[in-house]
Amino acid sequence: MDTHNLPINRKNSIAVARLLDAMADDLELEVLCGFQGIGRSVYTSDINRPGLALGGYLDYFASDRVQILGNTEIHYMEQLSAAGLQHRLEGMFSFEIPAFLLSRNLTPSHIFMDMCNRRGIPVLRSRKSTDEVISRIILFLAEEFSPETIVHGSAVDCYGVGCLIVGAPGIGKSETALELVERGHRIVADDVVALKRRREDSLYAESSPVIEHHMEIRGIGIIDIKSVYGVGRVRNSKRIGLVVELEEWSQESEYDRTGLTEEFVTVLGVRIPYLLIPVRPGRNLAIILEVAALNHRLKELGVHPAQKLNERLMTLMSNGDA
Amino acid sequence: MPEVTEELRVVNSLGLHARPAATLVQTVLKFKSDVHISLNGHRVNAKSIMGLLTLAAAQGSILVVTCTGPDAEEALTAVRNLVEAGCGES
Repeated sequence: MDTHNLPINRKNSIAVARLLDAMADDLELEVLCGFQGIGRSVYTSDINRPGLALGGYLDYFASDRVQILGNTEIHYMEQLSAAGLQHRLEGMFSFEIPAFLLSRNLTPSHIFMDMCNRRGIPVLRSRKSTDEVISRIILFLAEEFSPETIVHGSAVDCYGVGCLIVGAPGIGKSETALELVERGHRIVADDVVALKRRREDSLYAESSPVIEHHMEIRGIGIIDIKSVYGVGRVRNSKRIGLVVELEEWSQESEYDRTGLTEEFVTVLGVRIPYLLIPVRPGRNLAIILEVAALNHRLKELGVHPAQKLNERLMTLMSNGDA
Repeated sequence: MPEVTEELRVVNSLGLHARPAATLVQTVLKFKSDVHISLNGHRVNAKSIMGLLTLAAAQGSILVVTCTGPDAEEALTAVRNLVEAGCGES
């Protein structure tokens, strides 16, 4: 599988409007002021609590981040004199700030709101606690800025293991996926699989919102797995635990015969166990995939059948009983 | 390996829906070259009907068609003729 030439999409920035749109229900957000700046861009998934900047220390002010104002910041601003506050805010506002986000339904001073209105810096307010706001906003931004790609293949949740099936066109990826669905497993996406790195070490497969769980079967046309097999056989997203490449059986290729060595592929920087499975008429690929998934689970649980057998064999030989 | 790229405009009024997408797939399948189509940074294999559908290319969209392979030129000409003719639709 060629994982080096995948087209990687990664957002450089998102508009504050997008944040508001996506998190409005989750965080119970409202716009307090600075509405004209709703198109401002956020360039990083980090957030900042501008306590020190409000205190006048601007040497390391992370101005390009969403600024979270909690109880501490609001009460600190309240105890400053009007002139003092004005002065401090002017210092802060000499930097480009994407947006302010207030927690706990707090209301900031008029001076602050006036300045944000004049400069068009959106001020959003949530009813949730500061911790809750911070953890949700970081998760949301990290996901928005995560790298994405599209691969041709199928993604199936097989015994709880997310399997990404890849291979040349016409090798039987869709048919294998369909047979797995028939055998009770769940399909994530067929043909067009969107891959997203959520955290440093996890890769998720998602279906495209346009085609969802539709599948093209040559000779029949487009079918909808959700309608034909029911909602129990589909899911929208699944972490990929195993990449399986199907390849036409060839005399030249060497296939793993023991399972003692493990191979990996790196997709979007995430290392994932990889299997190369030869295809030959009469080989039931769905069953082979089920076994591969179950064996993968065993290994995850710390049981390594091939290694165990080999160790037993070696103990036998060293005892001279063999 | 020869590679050619061209921008093509979707002309048929209903956009690249299932029927024209299928016609496009049938056309490019005749060639050995890989054909990829991108729209707004979203790149798909033109030999996959589901891939083409995810583009949701409405009338007026500009598709970036890239053909790579021994018959890249011929493949691109065929794609151009088809897309400019509305993929067999009006």
